[in-house]
Amino acid sequence: MKKIININFHSRVIPIEETAYEILQQYVESLRRYFANEEGRDEIISDIENRFSELFADTLKKGAACITDADVNAIIASMGRPEEFAGEEEQPSARTGAAAGAGSTGSGNAGTGSGPQQGSAPYEEPRRLYRASNQKVLGGVCAGLANYLKLDPAIVRLIFVLICVTWGFGILLYVILWAVLPTKVVTTSARKRLYRNPDDKVIAGVASGIAAYFHIDVWIPRLIFALPLIVGIVTSIWQNIWWHTFHFGGHIIFEGFGSGLFVAYVVLWIVLPEAVTATEKLEMRGEKIDLESIKNTVKSDMEAFNRRAKEMGTEIGESFKNMGQNMSSQVRQNVQNFPAEAGAAARRTGNGIGHAIGVLFKVFFLLIAGCIAFGMIMALVALAFSGGGLLDLKGYFLSGVWENLLAWASFILVFVVPVIALLTWLIRRITGIRSQRHYLGYMFATLWVIGLISFVVLAGMLINNFRARAHSEEEFALTQPSHGSLIIQAHQNVHRDYYDDDWWFGNGWRHNGVFYSISEDSLLLNTVQIKVLRSEDSSYHLRILRGSLGSSANTALNYARQISFPVTQSDSIIQLPGGFPITRDQQFRNQQVIVVVYIPVGKKIMMDNSVKRYDWVNLHVGRGHINWDNDDRYDENYDDEGFSLENNYYWNSGVQYIMTAGGLERVGAVGKYEDRPEQPEKRERPEKKEKPEAPEKSEPSEKPGQPANGGYRYKAPAEKRKADSTVPKSSTMVSPHRPSPFVLLSSFFI
Amino acid sequence: MNIENTQSQMRKGILEFCILSVIRRGEAYPSDIVEEMKAANLNILEGTLYPLLTRLKNADMLTYRWVESNSGPPRKYFSLTPKGEAFYGELQATWNELTNAVHALTQKI
Repeated sequence: MKKIININFHSRVIPIEETAYEILQQYVESLRRYFANEEGRDEIISDIENRFSELFADTLKKGAACITDADVNAIIASMGRPEEFAGEEEQPSARTGAAAGAGSTGSGNAGTGSGPQQGSAPYEEPRRLYRASNQKVLGGVCAGLANYLKLDPAIVRLIFVLICVTWGFGILLYVILWAVLPTKVVTTSARKRLYRNPDDKVIAGVASGIAAYFHIDVWIPRLIFALPLIVGIVTSIWQNIWWHTFHFGGHIIFEGFGSGLFVAYVVLWIVLPEAVTATEKLEMRGEKIDLESIKNTVKSDMEAFNRRAKEMGTEIGESFKNMGQNMSSQVRQNVQNFPAEAGAAARRTGNGIGHAIGVLFKVFFLLIAGCIAFGMIMALVALAFSGGGLLDLKGYFLSGVWENLLAWASFILVFVVPVIALLTWLIRRITGIRSQRHYLGYMFATLWVIGLISFVVLAGMLINNFRARAHSEEEFALTQPSHGSLIIQAHQNVHRDYYDDDWWFGNGWRHNGVFYSISEDSLLLNTVQIKVLRSEDSSYHLRILRGSLGSSANTALNYARQISFPVTQSDSIIQLPGGFPITRDQQFRNQQVIVVVYIPVGKKIMMDNSVKRYDWVNLHVGRGHINWDNDDRYDENYDDEGFSLENNYYWNSGVQYIMTAGGLERVGAVGKYEDRPEQPEKRERPEKKEKPEAPEKSEPSEKPGQPANGGYRYKAPAEKRKADSTVPKSSTMVSPHRPSPFVLLSSFFI
Repeated sequence: MNIENTQSQMRKGILEFCILSVIRRGEAYPSDIVEEMKAANLNILEGTLYPLLTRLKNADMLTYRWVESNSGPPRKYFSLTPKGEAFYGELQATWNELTNAVHALTQKI
C-alpha cells in the first residue's frame, strides 16, 4: 500500500507514488550537484525533467494508474546516474575550469612546471595550490589545500581551525594564502568525505559520520566520545560513596581527555556538513564512487595530457617569459579583489556562522540538560544510599496520609520519572529506534509537572506546620547550692545510637547536627540553649523554656509541652539531659529548649564541657522565606526568645565565672582548653538594620530587673512585632506568619 | 589502465561527432537521437545527451525550435547552425583521417 500524490511536472499532471517521487527528487538533486559548475545547468536539468515527464505521460497513456518506483528506476537507468555520466563524457568541471579566466594563468604556469618532465610517460598533473572557487566556506583556501593534498576538505578545515585556535598565526596564514593563491574550480580529489550522518544520530550524527568514513561500526566512535562521560559518572559516584576512603587517581587525565573530545565533537558538529542528498551519502560511505574516482583520475590525467601536448609547443616559450609577469599580476588582482570577495564570502558564510551559533546554542542547552540529568541521577544515587536514614526522618516531618502521599508522589515524579525518561531516550537513541509518536515525551513531561505541583503543595503544607511559634515556661525548683557555685552539665544521651556505623551521615550530621541521633521510635534533638542572666535577688534561679513551631499557636504550644526535658540537681551540680526525644507522633517542629540560669551577684557558675553537645537551630518561617540558621551566638535568636541583649552574658564552657554588679566575670581557667576570648564579655549587639531594636532597649520598664518576670521578657519575633503590638499575656508567645506563596516557592527552588 | 576506461575514452571522443551527424540529417528530438544511436548499436545514456546538446547549443553549433507535440508540452527540436556545419565538416575530416590511420595500422599485420 503506497500513497499516491499528484504532481505538476512540466505542465503535466502526474499521479506518482510518494516513494517514487522521492527517488525522482533525489535523482534530480544528484544531477543538480553533478552539473553544479556547468554553465547551462538549469537548462540541462529542465530538459531531463521534461523527458521524464514525457516518459511518465507515455506510461500513463499505456494504462498505468500511476507512476511507480519501478517506472522511475527504469527511466533513471536509461538516463544514467551522474556517476555513470562521468565515464561517458568529459568532466564538466574540467571544461568550465579551462574556460574560467584563472585557467590561463594556471595552465601557463603549470606548463612551465611540467615542461622538463614532458617526455616522461606516466603524466602526473602538476599539482598546484589553488583556492577552490566552488567549495569555499570563506576563501576556498582549505578546499584548495585539500585538493592539493588529496584530502577531505573537512579534515583540512578542521586542522586549520585547530591551528587558528591554538596559534593565532593560522588566521594570518589564511589571509595571506587567500590573497596570494589564484582561484580555480577544483574537483574534490577525495571522493570519500566526512559528513554528519542525519539518518543515524544521537546528537548530531558526528559519530556515525566518522563510522561511515572509516567503515567501522557506529558504536566504536560513539563509545570513544561517550567514554569520558561514562568514566566521569562512574568515578564521581565512586568518589561520592567512598570519598573518605579512596581517591580515584588519574581522573584528571580523563577530565582533560574528555573535555578535549567534547570540544572535538562540537567543532566537528560545526565544521562537517550534513549528508543530505543521495550523492553526499554515497560520498560519506565512499561507496561505489571509489571505483569511479580511480577511473576519473586516470581519465582526467589523459585529457590533461592531450591538452598539454597540444599547448606545450606554443606555450612553452611564452610561458617562461610571462611567468613572472603573470604571477605578479595575479597577486595584484587577487589583492584588489580581496575586499569585495571577502564581503561576498562573509555574506555567504552568514548562514555558516549562523549554523555555528545555532550549534553552540544547542550544545549549551544540551549541557544544561545534561547537568540537570546528571544532578538528578546523583541525587537518586545519594538517596538510594542514605535512603534508610531519610526514610526514618520522614516520619518526623510528615503527618497524615495526604502529606505522605504527596511526598512519595513528588519524589517519584520529580526524581525518578526524568531518570526513566532519560534512560528511555538514551536507549532509543543508541539502538536507533525512533518513535513517530511523541505521547511518551508528553506523558513524561506531564508527570514531571504533576510531581512539581505536588511538591509545591507539599511544601506549602509543610510550611504551614511551621507557621506559628509558642513557648511554655516553667521554673525549676532549685535548692541553693551550698558553696555558692553552680556547675551545669549535660547528661550523656540515654538513647543508644541507631546507626552505629552510619558512615553516610558523616561526622557533621551525627555529632554536631541538630538531629543528634535517631532511634527506632524517636528522634533525639539537641536544640538546647543555656542563657546566663543576673539574678535580681540573692538566689539562683533556673527556668526551662520549651518552644515549638506549629500550624497554629495551640498546636505549637501542644508540641512545646510534649517536650520532656527532666532536670536533676545534686547540690551544686545541675544535670541537664543530653537532648530531648521526639516520638513519631510528635513530629519535628523545630522544638527548642532554653535553659535560663539566673546568678546572683557574687556567686559563681561554670558550664561543663559537656554542654558543647548542644546545638541550636532556628527556623523562621515568615515574610515568605525560610531561614535555617544554627548559629546560636551572633544572630537575632536571642531576641526571638525575648531576651534583652543587655543582660545576656556570653560564656565559654569549662570556664568558671563569677557574677558581679558589672556583669559576668571570669574566675580562672578551669577547663582544659581555651579557644574563646579571654574576657567574658557582654554579647555584642549585632547590627541589624531591619530589626528596630532601639526603642525596646531605651525603655527602662522593658529592662529585665523585675523579679516578676525573672529578667527576661518575651518578645514576638521582630518581623511580627512591628505589625501588631498586642502581645498575649500568657506565657505563651504566638507569632503567626503569613508567607507569600511565591516568594516561598522561589526560596525553595534556589 | 583498465579496458573499460579506454573504451569509454574512445566512445566519448566520437560522441559529439555522432550526435551532430544525426542532427545534420534533419531536425531531431533528443529521444530520437538516442533511439537512432541505439539502432546503430551505439548505446549511450540519455542523461549524457542533454548536457552535450546544451553545450553544443551554447557554443552556437546547434539551434533549436519548439515544436508542438500532440501530447503535452512542446518539444525541443535541434538543428545545425552554419557554424555547427563547419565544425561537423572538420570532425568528418578528422574522423576520416583517423579511420584511415587506424585501419592502416590495424590491418598491417
